[in-house]
Amino acid sequence: MTEFAIDVSHLRKQFGRKVVLNDVTLKIPRGQITGLLGLNGAGKSTLIKCLLGLLRPTSGSVTVLGKDAWDLEDQQKMRLGYVPQEVSLYPWMTVRQIVNYVSAFYTNWDNAWSDELLRRWELPLSDRFGPLSVGQKQKLALVLALGHRPELLILDEPVASLDPVARRWFLESILEMASDERHTVLFSTHITSDLERVASHVALMKEGVILFHDELDTLKDQVKRLRLETASDLPQSFSVQGALRTEVHGRNAIVTVPSASTALVDELQDRWSAQIAVEDLNLEEIFLEMHAQPTSHSN
Amino acid sequence: MQKPSLTFSVHPSSGVPIYRQLIDQVEAMIAGGRLVPGDTLPSVRDMASELGINMMTVSKAWAKLEMTGLLERSRGKGMVVAVPRNEGSTIERQAQLKPLTDQAVVRGLQLGLTDSQIQEVFTSSLQEHRHD
Repeated sequence: MTEFAIDVSHLRKQFGRKVVLNDVTLKIPRGQITGLLGLNGAGKSTLIKCLLGLLRPTSGSVTVLGKDAWDLEDQQKMRLGYVPQEVSLYPWMTVRQIVNYVSAFYTNWDNAWSDELLRRWELPLSDRFGPLSVGQKQKLALVLALGHRPELLILDEPVASLDPVARRWFLESILEMASDERHTVLFSTHITSDLERVASHVALMKEGVILFHDELDTLKDQVKRLRLETASDLPQSFSVQGALRTEVHGRNAIVTVPSASTALVDELQDRWSAQIAVEDLNLEEIFLEMHAQPTSHSN
Repeated sequence: MQKPSLTFSVHPSSGVPIYRQLIDQVEAMIAGGRLVPGDTLPSVRDMASELGINMMTVSKAWAKLEMTGLLERSRGKGMVVAVPRNEGSTIERQAQLKPLTDQAVVRGLQLGLTDSQIQEVFTSSLQEHRHD
């Protein structure tokens, strides 16, 4: 057993001259649920395709379950589950036929579990795939990815077209599967509230690099928004080292810092003789702060 | 003794991490007397599946509460509310209480109460909670 389910080191991926992934390093231990968060075009899907051996890295190494992702054998692929962003399956097959067809590729398929999921998500077994709604197609793709209880489950925007009830079912199934602490899950999403509920860890991606990768709790404990109010106007030169975003309006400033501490707050209080309020931020707010214009002064 | 009435609620999209929300709720339940020494807390697995959250989050909250001495691991029972230990000198324990009384005093002054009126509130609260 290797320590990491996913071990990406200095991964670079270029399409022609366009660099999509620029030196990505990401190590995910077994048993963790990690959310991958990033804007469209940040490189999430490209990273996921490299993990699955669907794209060949320009340079760097990508290892999943201890094997080079580009050279995965059937035995390893049977331990993986994947839900793509866009689901395309044979439109003329019925739901039941598709499940039977796909399960035949796996020696480790769990029929009772896949039937349970089909029932839970109320999928019409005798309907053809083609006319199913987008949400139903995505549910079916989830059943197909979960049916063999994969050791490593990778999902690219799995909940984008699910309604809130189905999303909740889906999150519960993920938690249920991961509750033995042997299954590893990586899912990319835009919906931060889902990630906040189930993920223990979060990887934030921006412009082809991982900006942050740690426990979600650590991120929330450390990233804070400070509101400063001083007796006289703050100077043009006002800045806080390492700040993610600084906004100054006369005697008021808003500074978002990546790791707030009482020492930092005391220091700022003394240095600018300021009253400081410290605000907690949720994941969406942190994400927005990381993508905001870094500084703005208006006096 | 399992308390089925024990209800936790979490808000995943709050800026406060979920494990801290759980810690705050246990602390409040103990402070409010809804949890007393010897009461068993739900298991990590039950909490996680009931609230639909990651098990690591619950075990982290329980572990932190164990570290601060509010909970203790009991063989066969899981996590139970610990009997409070009177550690530290009187001065140290008074210093722990100070921030809470400061809040109460400031609020009392804001409400326009006199010193003796504030002290009356403290005295009556002491009478309510002292059982020995």
